[in-house]
Amino acid sequence: MSWIDIGALDDVPLRGARLVKTRLGCVAVFRTGEAEVFAASNACPHKGGPLSEGIVHGRKVTCPLHNWVFDLETGEAQGADDGRIDTYKVRVEDGRVLLDGALLMKGAA
Amino acid sequence: MKKLVVIGAGMASGRVLEHLFESAPDAYEVTLFNAENRGNYNRIMLSPVLSGEKSYEEIVTHDEAWYAANKVTCRFGEHVVGIDRARKVVIGQNGEVPFDKLLIATGSAPFIIPVQGKDLPGVVSYRDLDDTEAMIEAAGTRDAKAVVIGGGLLGLEAAAGLRLRGMDVTVLHLMGHLMERQLDEAAGYLLKRDLEKRGIRVITRASTAAILGEERVEGVLLEDSTGLKADLVVMAVGIRPEARLATDAGLETGRAIVVDAQMVTSDPDILAVGECVEFDGNLFGLVAPLYDQAKVAAATLLGEPSAFVMRETATKLKVTGCDLFSAGDFAEKDGREDIVYRDPGRGIYKRLVLEGEKLVGAVMYGDTADGGWFHGLIKDQTDISEMRETLIFGPAYQGGAALDPMAAVAALPADAEICGCNGVCKGRIVEAIEGGAHSLDDVRAVTKASGSCGTCTGLVEQVLAVTLGDAFELPTAKPVCGCTDLTHEDVRRLIKAQELKSQPAVWQELGWKTPNGCHVCRPAVNFYLLADWPLEYQDDPQSRFVNERNHANIQKDGTYSVMPRMWGGMTNPEELIAIAEAAKKYGATVKVTGGQRIDLLGVKKEDLPAIWADLNGAGMVSGHAYSKGLRTVKTCVGSDWCRFGTQDSTGLGIKLEKRLWGSWTPHKVKLAVSGCPRNCAEATCKDVGVVCVDSGYQVGVGGAAGMDVKETERLVDVATEEEAIEWTVAFVQLYRENAKYLDRPYKWIAKVGLDWVKEVLSDPAERAALVGRFDISQSVYQKDPWAERARPEAARRFLPLADLTLEAAE
Amino acid sequence: MDQAVGADVRPFIQVSEVWVPEGDRLVLAGGCYGGLDAFEASSRHESFAKGEGLPGKAWDEARPVVLKGFEGSYFKRTEAASAAGLTSAVAIPVFAGAKLKAVLVVLCGDDANRTGAIEVWQEKDGLLMLDDGYYGAAKHFEWVSQHTHFPRGQGLPGGVWASETPMLMRDLGSGYRFIRSESAGRAGLTTGLGLPVPAPLKGTYVLTLLSARGTPIARRFEIWDARDAKVGKENEAVLIDGICARDGKLWDEDNTRRVAAWQGVIGRVLGTGVPVVESGSPGLTAGYDSVVAFPIHRGGELAHVVAWYI
Repeated sequence: MSWIDIGALDDVPLRGARLVKTRLGCVAVFRTGEAEVFAASNACPHKGGPLSEGIVHGRKVTCPLHNWVFDLETGEAQGADDGRIDTYKVRVEDGRVLLDGALLMKGAA
Repeated sequence: MKKLVVIGAGMASGRVLEHLFESAPDAYEVTLFNAENRGNYNRIMLSPVLSGEKSYEEIVTHDEAWYAANKVTCRFGEHVVGIDRARKVVIGQNGEVPFDKLLIATGSAPFIIPVQGKDLPGVVSYRDLDDTEAMIEAAGTRDAKAVVIGGGLLGLEAAAGLRLRGMDVTVLHLMGHLMERQLDEAAGYLLKRDLEKRGIRVITRASTAAILGEERVEGVLLEDSTGLKADLVVMAVGIRPEARLATDAGLETGRAIVVDAQMVTSDPDILAVGECVEFDGNLFGLVAPLYDQAKVAAATLLGEPSAFVMRETATKLKVTGCDLFSAGDFAEKDGREDIVYRDPGRGIYKRLVLEGEKLVGAVMYGDTADGGWFHGLIKDQTDISEMRETLIFGPAYQGGAALDPMAAVAALPADAEICGCNGVCKGRIVEAIEGGAHSLDDVRAVTKASGSCGTCTGLVEQVLAVTLGDAFELPTAKPVCGCTDLTHEDVRRLIKAQELKSQPAVWQELGWKTPNGCHVCRPAVNFYLLADWPLEYQDDPQSRFVNERNHANIQKDGTYSVMPRMWGGMTNPEELIAIAEAAKKYGATVKVTGGQRIDLLGVKKEDLPAIWADLNGAGMVSGHAYSKGLRTVKTCVGSDWCRFGTQDSTGLGIKLEKRLWGSWTPHKVKLAVSGCPRNCAEATCKDVGVVCVDSGYQVGVGGAAGMDVKETERLVDVATEEEAIEWTVAFVQLYRENAKYLDRPYKWIAKVGLDWVKEVLSDPAERAALVGRFDISQSVYQKDPWAERARPEAARRFLPLADLTLEAAE
Repeated sequence: MDQAVGADVRPFIQVSEVWVPEGDRLVLAGGCYGGLDAFEASSRHESFAKGEGLPGKAWDEARPVVLKGFEGSYFKRTEAASAAGLTSAVAIPVFAGAKLKAVLVVLCGDDANRTGAIEVWQEKDGLLMLDDGYYGAAKHFEWVSQHTHFPRGQGLPGGVWASETPMLMRDLGSGYRFIRSESAGRAGLTTGLGLPVPAPLKGTYVLTLLSARGTPIARRFEIWDARDAKVGKENEAVLIDGICARDGKLWDEDNTRRVAAWQGVIGRVLGTGVPVVESGSPGLTAGYDSVVAFPIHRGGELAHVVAWYI
């Protein structure tokens, strides 16, 4: 697995998110704790709302458009809503955020 | 007899010698070097020696008699200058010593942050007895002040010790909460509260810019220009392994001296243990793994098979009366689940982190009785699926007791103010109940609690329930959300009564069931905190909906609309030209709004800082068309132009808008000022609407023209413009301080009653106080959010973190 | 550390006694009278109503009370005390929540020759001030203490106040800079035990016992933690700190000592929630003549036990 350094952890606000553009579309990188990050598709399956603009709570995010809530670990929509978002491997090392390089590979292939 | 030389008399090497002499007293003739002029003592107990709760004699692990009995040649106070591996000798300052086996246990050195003034006298690190004695000496001066840099284990123990010694102590911590490596935010909050109770000041997110002083240390300067006086500065930001001797001798080193599982370095005759070693990429700072290493090293020296294995270690803080426990890992992996338990009354917080069927981490504050048991479950990777439901209650617990939803109210002290209108404390209500007032009406009659605006009704009922037990049936009120059983009104009142000034304080003291709320409660709590404590609380953008965070309205296609402020709906050619140019440059659609403004639609997120900078350049600021705050003040042209106008309605509108803009409110607030009763500005369906008449100004409140349509009700008639402004500002502040989040004024007035609003505002002193508090809040919040975010370092945040579509994929 | 417990110890405290409520009066539950048989005999015939005598006053006012000079005071056993050479006394009520469990009374005498300190600190305007104290011959230290106050977290009293737990301080005045250290050093004070005294009516009180080498309050101190938050649901306690003139340090990070309810003197305090004063019994830690084991309640529950031996 190849990891791609996408930026400093401190550039992602705590309980916030930043966007990463990839060949597969936009990926949102969420920071749920001091050193805890998740990555998932930025688009809500409901009406395409930008999840990186949602409120991050616990290990979940709420879509800013219509309040769908997604579990960032599984990508599953919570509660009555049905749907899921793609999740991607991401990790933190020495204060940097590393994203799974497979995303790029797929885009190039 | 073979010769063993040991460099460093620390916790790890002391244990090696103990094991060695126990199993084979005659195997080695030992020479022990120590740079400090003393033998082995229990370094982790230096903190109680600093505080005066232990004496140095009590923490000595090996005394002269012990070294003599085991025939150890002690070379204390002597530095080792080199190791000659070819000749197998250790070169000390006072001569060489040959060895068959060498044990390096040089430990670690404190990390000194490279700032100006770090070498001034009075700046100390905290590693050994000499440091401790220097700190005790410094504490001997009357009213001496200490600044401790670093809010980890060592720094906090130093701070508590110095405080007991009588110093005035401030702790500076770079991160957002104390001991962030061992604790989560909630436990960090409780620890901070505990230390503050001891008179220790804690500043988080504090970055040291310089240490000041001429002859010796006099103070510390922070990056944000805060200056702190200091007679002593303790550097406790971290440690780095002391591996120089090994590096110079050509042993393999990484971040420290590399050893295998037998604690042998790259030279088969040289071993290393303790904080100076690196095993499998890991460094060591806590004592438990050091003891494990010592056992292995002793076995290796005796030619016995043994191997060091990494284990989960637990953290304890040695500050008397601070009970915290942390073990394992509570972050950074997928597939995890939290169990949170809070008991506000007893200051208890527990969090367990599960991964699949296993416990992987535990943080506890205030109740650590089950720490050992949880630690065992983590170490042994026990399958906990059977006991999952009651796990958090510990080994003794069978059958799950539900958390008490009234714990927060039960925990309130007697002097906590429940009814803000009439100044009634919990103690008074309890007295009344015990005196026979067994219903809400009775309590109201006796104490007046909840008799005015009524927003504390829920709390009074809870006090009744707590005091009377089952004899009182609690009506079910709608809680804020699933994170709590309290209503909005309860939360607002408790934030005031208990002086809760941070989100972690609210989560803990009100017994929140989730680690940090959800999208429903967090924006509300963020507003309540900033409205009640404008100076103490810092607004949290991550607790705001997207529009308020990005200071623009998100549209259904993900673009944004941008609307500059036009005071009272007045504009001029220069502003219009700037708006037109911006619309062209960023491809925006232009719309004139119902609130007498011009809206630019369809702007991309990454263009926001640039368009703001352009509009700022023409003298315009954010129109806050996106906020739960003051939106617009609509006006008619008034007496300046209109033949019917009675007063300068435009002028009053501009004055009101300039006074109120930037303030956050429970929901959006729209105003209008009409110059005569013909009401061209439609003031009678606004949150606050002023209608000018010959005799002065009619101030109406609580209008609506959305899903509900409602005419304003008259608040007051006043003669002068100043009075109209004073009443309006006071009304807005009363609304800010009391309304439920997302209640427009008309809804709030329906709950508390217009009579109550009138009663409060008709008291001139009360009105002046409300205006005063509003102005304090405006001193923080009345600033253009666009200008702040158009600056390059802030604008960066509106761009993608990375653009991988541009990377060459190989 | 290895010195034997002196045979000719002249203890600072000469009499310790425990009074417990029975009906509406306090009756004697036990005591150590150090050979003052006549005073013991007169005490055995005594009982106190609420507000009566020294124990009754501590009960009534729900706070520790220091009484220096019995003549003409509310003290009831003046004659017997005077015959025994006792001149001063301190009464400490033990409350669990609002309920009085017992009153511990300690009596001292021989003011000119014995040094030590039994102090009661009271919170006033956010600071701990000396309410009163008995110091024996340590007159200068008494004067210094009367002019000292402690903010939260500072010194032994301030530390006990802020942490709400008993604390044991070493080497007062010798080498370390205890806040009143210079004077403490001259008075020969070495070890200090501080404990919170819960007062159900109002106020915050801290009691400190400062022991001098020549005329010690105790030669061995122990602090036991019995809170659920520390030991779990079992009625047990762990030894968290202690120091002994003969055995040296009593705390051991790796092997904590634990006792269960009813097991030994500490166990009896755990079981009853009432102080125990015992002397000359075979169950006593070897080398000591007597022990006072004293419970500290918090939030209505037994939280700590402190014990001092001589």
